[in-house]
Amino acid sequence: MAVEAIGRVPRRPGPIGRLGAGLLDVLQVLGEAASLFTAAVRASAFVPVDRQRVVVQMVRVGTDTLSIGALLSVFVGMVLVVQAADQLREVNESVLGPIVGLAMTKELGPVMMAFLLAGRAGSAMAAELGSMTVYDEINALRTMDIDPVRFLVMPRFVAATLALPLLILYSDFIGVWGGALVVAIDPAIKLTTNEYFARMLEWVHFSDVVIGLVKGLMFGMIASVVPCTFGLRTRGGTEGIATATTSAVVWSFILILVFDFLIVRGSFAVN
Amino acid sequence: MTSGSQQPKRRGVALDLRGVRRSYGGAEVLRGVDLSVNAGELLAIVGQSGTGKSVLLRQIIGLERPDAGRITVGGLELPRYLAIPPEEKPFRIAMVFQNAALLASLTVAENVGLRLREHRRHRPDEIEAIIHRVLADVELEGTEAKLPSELSGGMRKRVAIARALAVDPELILYDEPTADLDPILTQQIGELIGRIRTNRGSTQIIVTHNLPLARAIADRIAVLDQGRIVECSTPAELAASRQPLTREFLRAAALGV
Ligand SMILES: Nc1ncnc2c1ncn2[C@@H]1O[C@H](COP(=O)(O)OP(=O)(O)O)[C@@H](O)[C@H]1O
Ligand SMILES: [Mg+2]
Repeated sequence: MAVEAIGRVPRRPGPIGRLGAGLLDVLQVLGEAASLFTAAVRASAFVPVDRQRVVVQMVRVGTDTLSIGALLSVFVGMVLVVQAADQLREVNESVLGPIVGLAMTKELGPVMMAFLLAGRAGSAMAAELGSMTVYDEINALRTMDIDPVRFLVMPRFVAATLALPLLILYSDFIGVWGGALVVAIDPAIKLTTNEYFARMLEWVHFSDVVIGLVKGLMFGMIASVVPCTFGLRTRGGTEGIATATTSAVVWSFILILVFDFLIVRGSFAVN
Repeated sequence: MTSGSQQPKRRGVALDLRGVRRSYGGAEVLRGVDLSVNAGELLAIVGQSGTGKSVLLRQIIGLERPDAGRITVGGLELPRYLAIPPEEKPFRIAMVFQNAALLASLTVAENVGLRLREHRRHRPDEIEAIIHRVLADVELEGTEAKLPSELSGGMRKRVAIARALAVDPELILYDEPTADLDPILTQQIGELIGRIRTNRGSTQIIVTHNLPLARAIADRIAVLDQGRIVECSTPAELAASRQPLTREFLRAAALGV
């Protein structure tokens, strides 16, 4: 036995081997996430029956994100105006409205809120499912003929996917008002808030808001499926749960940014 | 505690394993397990830590598929049994996990009634009544609204048993139900399992390190070693065994370790 074991000790992999192993890990995770995504979509057929559980998750997402979301958005709106005003003072302050409006609706609102959702609600999902995996609760569900995807993943998936667009609208609104606040009180800015809003409405189209909401749908799926994937593949006790949680957040961030790029690139290609 | 004299009457299902193998990576944990359990029988499986007792239970309950071999339950091939939708299954199997594996976010009553509620074959008031009855069976009346974290280890195990009993299963698997319990709680769990045997007649398989317990309550004791069942006999026969591992176990048990 001992001899056998020694014979099988793997050589320490070189840099290329490590890179290869890392790449395989990445592909494995992406594959698992993709199959969990399809399973969650399929389980969404049970939303009418399981609506109670979806609502519970929506409330959790809301309590996790609403207050920090407001804080983030108002400050980002304010900072945008301060920064842009400084650059534009000589040129034309009237573009402040469009800058804040477009930046919030198309980019900052969606990405900020997606990060917030992944960081707070997503990390909680990974930790919760990770602990359920480690402590055999998931196995117990399986032995009871209860599908963990329908029971646990689907409500989180649907809740995050529906909640994020709403959260983005909320963020857009607060961010724009944060900007307006600076416009109103900063003596260095000569623009009136009326002009700020008028020019914003002129430039920000319904389609810009819609793009942000579409991003929200996609990011909401990512920020729930990825954490659930890491939760369900957790191994190795408490330490495993911590690793799963961290990886879930990092991976959600990366995928959100990748998809953000793809959506933007794709939408320009269409135009 | 009752010993294996009176044969249970009604509701167990038989279980049969032939040549069951399971490896992880290169390591073969189960190397051809053969085991027959009669309907209504109470079988104890003993073996050293890490020999694959939990792995064996995972194959029987269908959490994992063996690499080779056949498992039949109640005359059905296990894969066929597993493929039957929950509400049409001709009989039910339940497992009591080593750490109880109650859902931490649900109350005792919600945990116990979970399977019934999810499968929607019972009315809410029927489920209430069942929860009440099985909690009484495990002597935990009044804990319905508690969370698992508010219970002691022994109570959690009994809730897990109640959760199993709630579906009136024909086969119950226990993974070390008395590990890390004190002698008094061990005896309580042993008596509870004995009562299930006489009152319900479910087939029961108990993985345990506790040889005295196994000898006191089991009809037969199977010894798992190196991935095979090396011996399967009544407690009386076991005492006269020549199997080296069995003798080791008996000696250790006699020393009280
Ligand atoms: N999912 C798994 N992956 C890899 N190895 C496993 C897995 N499950 C069990 N094993 C190995 O199988 C052996 C038997 O484990 P187990 O059945 O838990 O032992 P026990 O008899 O104490 O219950 C151990 O060596 C364990 O490392
Ligand atoms: Mg074990």
